[in-house]
This record gives sequence, C-alpha cells and structure tokens, in this order.
Amino acid sequence: MIGDDSKSQQQRPHARQGGASDRVLSFLKAHKALLIFAVFLGVMPVWAEPIASTIHLDIVLVMRLVGVFTIAAVGLNLLIGYAGQVSLGHSAFFGVGAYTSALIAVKAGFPVWIGIIMAILASALIGLLVAPVLRLKGHYLAMATLGLGIIAFVFMREMTWLTGGNLGVTSIPELSLPGVPKNDISEFYIVWIIALIILAFCSNLVRSRTGRAIRAIHQSDVAAAAMGINVSWEKIKIFMLSAALGGLAGGLYAHLQGYIDPNLFYITLSIQLVAMVVVGGMESIWGAVAGAGLLIFLPKIVETLPRWIGPGVPKPIADYSNYEGIVFGLILVLAMIFMPSGITRGLSDLVRYRRSPFINPFKKQAVE
Amino acid sequence: MANGLANGCIYILLAMGFNIIFNSTGIINFAQGEFAMFGGLFAYTFSSALGLPLFIAVILAILITAAIGGVMERAVIHPLRHANVIAAIIATIGASIFFKAIGFLFWPNEAYKVLDFTTGNLSLPRVTVSRQFLWVFGLTILSVTLVYFFFNKTKAGKAMRACSINRQAASLVGINVSRMSLYAFILAAALGALAGLINAPFAKYSIGLFLGVKGFTAAVVGGLGNTFGAVAGGLALGLSEELITGFLTIVLGVSTGYQEAVAAILLILVLLLRPQGILGKGIVEKV
Repeated sequence: MIGDDSKSQQQRPHARQGGASDRVLSFLKAHKALLIFAVFLGVMPVWAEPIASTIHLDIVLVMRLVGVFTIAAVGLNLLIGYAGQVSLGHSAFFGVGAYTSALIAVKAGFPVWIGIIMAILASALIGLLVAPVLRLKGHYLAMATLGLGIIAFVFMREMTWLTGGNLGVTSIPELSLPGVPKNDISEFYIVWIIALIILAFCSNLVRSRTGRAIRAIHQSDVAAAAMGINVSWEKIKIFMLSAALGGLAGGLYAHLQGYIDPNLFYITLSIQLVAMVVVGGMESIWGAVAGAGLLIFLPKIVETLPRWIGPGVPKPIADYSNYEGIVFGLILVLAMIFMPSGITRGLSDLVRYRRSPFINPFKKQAVE
Repeated sequence: MANGLANGCIYILLAMGFNIIFNSTGIINFAQGEFAMFGGLFAYTFSSALGLPLFIAVILAILITAAIGGVMERAVIHPLRHANVIAAIIATIGASIFFKAIGFLFWPNEAYKVLDFTTGNLSLPRVTVSRQFLWVFGLTILSVTLVYFFFNKTKAGKAMRACSINRQAASLVGINVSRMSLYAFILAAALGALAGLINAPFAKYSIGLFLGVKGFTAAVVGGLGNTFGAVAGGLALGLSEELITGFLTIVLGVSTGYQEAVAAILLILVLLLRPQGILGKGIVEKV
C-alpha cells in the first residue's frame, strides 16, 4: 500500500506536464491489474456462453450480479475498510436506489438511465440526511445504521401507495443502450463497464488526499483532527459516496431483475454486503470484487452441485436453501478467526511479505 | 397496557443479556436474539413434542441454551479476544446467522405454540390479566433481583464487574478474565432463553434478529451496561411501542406495520441525543 502511494506520487507531476497520450499511458501503468481484469471480462462471454449448458451454470448471468454487488461492496469498503465506520444499514441505500430507479422507469415512464442517475442522487441525499449518526462509533454506529436499515425496510413495505408494499414493483424495463441489442450479454457488458469505472475511480480516490484523510480517521480521529483534517466532513463525504454507490448498485439491480419487493432489501442484504467487504478484504479495492464474486458464486455453485453429481442426491441435501445460512455463518466466523484481513490482503501479504495469510495485521496491541 | 408491560419484561431480560456480555467482554453480541429463539423452540420441543412436564422442559431449555452460549464463547469469542471491534461484530453476526439456520433446519415451520405456564385469566378488582402475564412479570422480577445480587454480592459477579472496569487490572489482581467472559455468555444465553420461552404464544426460527434489536434498544435506552438501566429501558420501550403504535393507528389511521420501526427510531434518537441512556452517567473518553 505504501509502495503504491509513493509510485503514484512520482508519476503524477510527470503526467500533468505531459500531453494527453502521456496521461493515458500513466493511467494504464497505474491500473495494470484493472486492465488485465477488463480483458478477462471482455472475453468472458466467448468461453462462458458455450459451456453454460454443460456445467448447468450460466457464468455470464451470474457475473452481472457480481458486477452490481461489486459496486455496492466497493462503496461499503471505502466506508468500513478505509474509514473504519461500520455500516449495517446499506440495504437502505441499495433499496432506495432500486425503488427510485424502478418507480421512475415504471410509473413515470422515464428512460432507464435517468432513473439510475436519480437513484444515485436519492441515495446520496438520504446519506446526507442520516449523516448525524456518523457521530457514533464502533458498536453504537453499527446498531444505529442497523436501525436505519430497519426503518427503510418498514417504510418500503408500508408505503403501499408508492412502493406497492409486499407485492413490489413488477415489469421494470431492462438495461439497454441505444443501438445495442437487449440481451444478457449486453447487460453484462454495461454493468461491468460501470463497475470498472467505479473501481478505477475508487482506487484513485484512496490514494488521493481524501483517501489519506479517511485512513487517518480510521487510525485515530483525534490524531486526524490534530493534523488539520476536517473529520466530520470527511466522514460525511465518504458516507455519501458510499450511499451513492449503494444506490447505483440498487438501481442496476432493479433493472437486471425486473422485479423488486421490500424483502430483497431486508437487513440480511446489509449483512451480505458487509460480509463481501470483510471476506474479500478490508482496505482493498480488489477485496470488494473477490468478496462479491465469492459470495454470489458460492450459493449458485452449491445449487448446481447436485446436477453435476447426478440424480442420486437426497432431496434435503439438494435443496441448498436448507443450509445456506449455516455455510454463510461459518464463512463469516471462520474468516474472522483465521483470515481477518480477507482473501485479497491475505494472499497479497503472502506474496509480498512471505507472511502467513492467517495472521491478523489489524491485531490490537496488548497494552492499550 | 398489559401487553406493553409483558413485552417490556421480555426486552428487560434480553437487555440484561446484552449488558452482561458488554460488561465482561466489551462487545455487543448480535446473537443474543438467537438465544431467545433457542429457548422458545427447545421449550416447545421438550414440552409439546416430547411430552415432558412443562417445568422440566423449561429448565432443560434454559440449560441447553446456556450450554450453547458457552460453546459459542469458546468457539467464536475466545479466539477473537485480541481482535478489533469490527471483527467481533462480524463474528457474532456470523454466529447469529449460523444459529438461525440451525433453527430453520430443525424447526422449519412458521411458528410453534409454546404452552402457557398456567392458562386462564385472573380477575383482580377492575382489571383482568392473564396468568401467563403474571408469570412473565414474576420471572422477570426474579431474574433482575438475582442478576443484581450476583453482580453485587457474589465473588464471581464482582470479578465480572472488575473486568468491565479494566480488564488488565482485573487480570493483574488474579481474576481469570477469559473465564469471566465464558460465564457472561452462559448467563446471557440463559437469560435470553428465558425471554424466548416466556415470549408466548409463539416461537419461531426467525424471531432472533427482531428480538435482538429490541433488546439492544432497551439496553441502550437504559444505559448500556447498567442492570437497572435495562429495567427502565425495557419498560420504556415496551410501553412506548404500545402507546406510539396506538397513537399511529387510532389517531393517524396508518397501518400497524410501522410498529417495527418504532424501536429503531427510538434507538437512533437515544444514541444521538443521550448516548449514555436514561440512567447512565456521562461518558468521558480518554484519548
């Protein structure tokens, strides 16, 4: 992390002096991993579509959702991983985004993309309105945001005149661009182009002044304030950004699914998002991708396992929903105990410092 | 009104569970509601399904849930005793999801009827209350008294309070901090189980999160870590839920579904306006 910082600072003045082509070149240099990932995604439909029926799993279809949850998880990682503010209420922003976008498209009849922009704005606005909870710390903040999630859920369910209550909103138009055929593959590309832009933006953000400020707040907000950082404003900014990304993800999700109801945006969603951040890796942009990928793919793979094995699997085992929670709960607990820095941090530390991924780099000092 | 009081009693029991664990380990146990779920479902299984006498069923349910609490402390909390707050939060959330899934696996139905301790109503001058309500009330008072005496009169209780004040100093004077944490989880799980099994009439696998949020709200409203605060917070929450919902439905004519949001709104307001709770003392934070 520190090595990256100094490198980008060395490059930046150079990039500013140079022309447009230099700037593009330095951007590409700074985001090599992102480019490799983009190429990997670009060719994914080519190899994934033909094998979809053989392995009973449409990877492209699942990857659309991974893209959506990556956006939400990267936003939440800025808040939890970088700024150290735990939010258990991101289902609220996700839900607000989904409902805003869906209702603008379905009831008001506006184009999809206007709905999605409004979703981002609405979530950021809600984020600003509830920003006073950022005064709280640790458990208290977690519980207060959990309360926000519950309140948002209750309002989504009870404001039937607007949201349709438990019946939800149906026949939401799908994502489309003019001149592009409407199908799963084009949706996959749209979602991932947005997700990659967000990833590039966030990996730049965490190396910027704001990024350093929020990491300072994570260490100690008193020390950060003493260094001249406006702690409450930085927290509000990052919270609003995180909320806006949640809203964007929610908006995309509504159009991908074509149907939403309040139960999709219950606290379990918040917990899933937090799990993506934590299991993927805190303080890591790639952690969000890894976490979203793992937690979205895992249930799908377990669901298809019986089909790979054949018809001999007993029904209670074949029905994944029976023990989904057991697997999920165990992953959370075991990840916290054995790999508290998450998959990406654990593996990169293994490579970079030859350190076991099972050591906790965030371990508290014995003497406080 | 009696309904609000009965709910309040259940919130008191849950809030005390939160307090005990918070005091001895400094973490909030998100699985507290799941202890209540286990209490209710075990009581159902032993009394209605296996046909044991209700008294024995209740004792068994509490003991088994207490054992689950102890196992959870050893398996989840003990390895994380040096970890940071976020890790502890996520781990207890993971435990709560795990417990809920176990509940769903063994008790997949929507709801199970737990028998009343004694059925029927009791007619007092002017009011009629159900006998179950008296049981709820009596058992809550008994538990609060026992917990109070435990913390103030017994050696183990005093040791636990010492841990809450300063864990390092406590361990320097010879208190086994890690064992105190184990005792705290066992005690909190037992209280949670009691709350769950008197939470008549129904027990179901999905009740945990709902009760957990209510219990935490009660603990915060009263002042986190304070036994009598839990009593005040639980009663305040139970009654205000009843009153506010009544006000919303009768005066404003909106749906009762908003009741679920009352506790959450109260929680946020108290956290923002009076974070030390009704009975708490001011918090001074050292840097």
